[in-house]
Amino acid sequence: MSDDMVDRTRKLEETTVSNSLHEEEEERPVREKAEYEEEELHKLLVPDVSQLPPTPPSAVETNFVSYFAPDFMKPGNDQYVYRHANGLCVVGLASTHLAFKDKGGITAVDFNVGKSDRSSMKVTGKRKRNAQHFESNTALCKVCTGDDSYVVRCCVKGSLLEVNDRLIKQPELLNSSADREGYIAIIMPKPADWLKVKTSLLSLEEFKILRELC
Amino acid sequence: MSNDTEPAQVSSVAAESHAGDCDAEMQLLEGAVRPLPYHVVKELLSVGVCARCVLRLFGIEEHIYCHSSFSQSMLGSILEEETSFKSEVEFQFCSVCLGVLQFSYCDDGEETVVKKESAKDMALSIAELVKQEGHQIDGFSLEVSVPPLILENESSLLSHMKKKYESEPWFQERLLLSKCHSVKDVLKFAITKPLETLLGVKASASSFRIRLTYTHKRASKKVQNSVERNQECKRRKTGTENALHNVNDESVIADKDCSGYSTIETNSVTGIFSNGVQDQETSEHFESPIEKVSEPCHLVYVCCRTHIYLCGRYLKYSRNVSQTRWIIDEERMGEASVEEIIGSNILPICQGDNYKFHAAGREDIDVRMLGSGRPFLLEIQNARQVPSELIVKEMESKINGLENKLVGVKNLKVVGSQGWALMHEGEAEKQKQYCALVWISRPLEDEDMQTISLLNDMKILQRTPIRVLHRRSPLEREKIIHWMKIERIAGSSQYFLLHLCTQAGTYIKEFVHGDLGRTQPSVGSILGCRAEILQLDVTDVKMDCFVTE
Repeated sequence: MSDDMVDRTRKLEETTVSNSLHEEEEERPVREKAEYEEEELHKLLVPDVSQLPPTPPSAVETNFVSYFAPDFMKPGNDQYVYRHANGLCVVGLASTHLAFKDKGGITAVDFNVGKSDRSSMKVTGKRKRNAQHFESNTALCKVCTGDDSYVVRCCVKGSLLEVNDRLIKQPELLNSSADREGYIAIIMPKPADWLKVKTSLLSLEEFKILRELC
Repeated sequence: MSNDTEPAQVSSVAAESHAGDCDAEMQLLEGAVRPLPYHVVKELLSVGVCARCVLRLFGIEEHIYCHSSFSQSMLGSILEEETSFKSEVEFQFCSVCLGVLQFSYCDDGEETVVKKESAKDMALSIAELVKQEGHQIDGFSLEVSVPPLILENESSLLSHMKKKYESEPWFQERLLLSKCHSVKDVLKFAITKPLETLLGVKASASSFRIRLTYTHKRASKKVQNSVERNQECKRRKTGTENALHNVNDESVIADKDCSGYSTIETNSVTGIFSNGVQDQETSEHFESPIEKVSEPCHLVYVCCRTHIYLCGRYLKYSRNVSQTRWIIDEERMGEASVEEIIGSNILPICQGDNYKFHAAGREDIDVRMLGSGRPFLLEIQNARQVPSELIVKEMESKINGLENKLVGVKNLKVVGSQGWALMHEGEAEKQKQYCALVWISRPLEDEDMQTISLLNDMKILQRTPIRVLHRRSPLEREKIIHWMKIERIAGSSQYFLLHLCTQAGTYIKEFVHGDLGRTQPSVGSILGCRAEILQLDVTDVKMDCFVTE
């Protein structure tokens, strides 16, 4: 038992010792039962270490299927699309995106592209009213490096549910974890639209081979 | 059949009890009937009002109706003390109660007319149904519903009587209208005692309901007719005017043969469309007040028990069992559900029709429910048997003893409808305790354990997790993590158990891995590294309900 568990059982014992003897007599079976149950519970909780993988799959790997759009609309514009079982798509910059080759990496992100500021829209309700419908080539944002700026596009036709507005204040998230906290946006495509775009996307394996990442 | 000699007057009575009882009954009946004004009773009988209706319109006390059958001719002969008064009367359905108080009705299934001889016979067929269904009862509650037509008939009859007889002395004395007993009350009174005898239990406010529903084809047609006619009224004035004139021209004396095509309409119009009965109109139209009915009411009688509830706490030991039946595209998710395991083991014992499972919150299919268990309520519909304490204990043992050990049950017991309120009381405030198996991208330090255990009542902001974003509103919800404690796992430097207690509604998985940064702070951000969750268990649902006393 770890220190914490020992502490807790000791605390339990302490409280009962302070009671009168008579009460202690009555409480002993209760106390023992509670301890016993807690021990039994603990046995269920502790895993078999030998069964644990040295590095477990990440949340993204477990919950999403990863797709890639290499050179989307422009050479070097590699983007990913993580698709959840519920149909939602998370889009972002793949690690091979040209922007990461620039010295200093990404320095700023601007969602004010096209006709509106993508970070200002507010989607409400279960039916996702007010969500803007975008095409796969609609611009989501502009990422800037020291040397250049790149337009990031939807890749998937659908309703824009959310943009990662944290990138405005923390553009460095793209440099450190573009594949997680540095995601660009969440899009909800119609089932038919997804089937269409799926054919033009690569699986993780195919993408690795293409970019010689293996 | 009676094997005793009866006084000549009541030779038409088919009594089945002892001579002594019969005599006593007769005496009571005579005592009640004799004081009634003969001419009024005669008029009522002549327009087809049945014996019981006559008595109840006069407010005769309830115990009279219990007694064995008595007919219109019997009534008449008591008053006249002769057998000549309409002795050849053929049975006809009462023009007020449409046969309900004559224990006559149209059988629902076979569409045949049934005429029971007495209240006892009627009670017999009801008792048969109860036995057939296999109900085990300790009481029953009798409910009767009658078509509005009966009330219309009654009110038009009463107002006619009031108009015609209000100056007469007996009327003043009896305060006729206020004392009149309703058809429903009289029927209930008539069959309750025999039912009690047959079923062996008392009538009380019970969860076991016996419901008699009388309907009449004419009832709805009348409404329809009058609706149509009312509309026609607006369009074709001449047509309806004629009809009304006809009625006004008729003589005052009741003429049962005049089929007032239009009077039906006006009766129902006044009955339905004017809240208070317009005495003037209806009494004038009482010429052929209530049509003779050629068919009685349709009767449907059912018996059923209102919902019974079993409450308790359930445990889920498997990571492949959903809480409720979960089917997508005809394929079941998981190998079983808590709902079905508990419901299918309890329903047959209660011999109910159906069950409904309700729980205080829920956990994912891959999350175990351990420790104190989660409060649940199982609603059983139309149980034929309410399980005793002993049987309930057996149910609990049975479920806990199932071979596959997927689900467990604690503190199972029968509870009243307050169980509902108990379970949902303060649901949003309740705290839940969890144990998560966490991996971090670097070795765990003692410092980390300190950092984590120092955080108390920490507020976090969770955007709607991506995994439920498709069906929930995109919102940012503030939740509280009450306390956390890290427990090292022997043999591993990067895996550990995280015990935590949080506010209801907190998404634990997202709190650990951060949900792409949409839950802030997260375990990862607090420890400054990547964190992943492999397993989650609920170890305590901190609610006071459904615990052992």
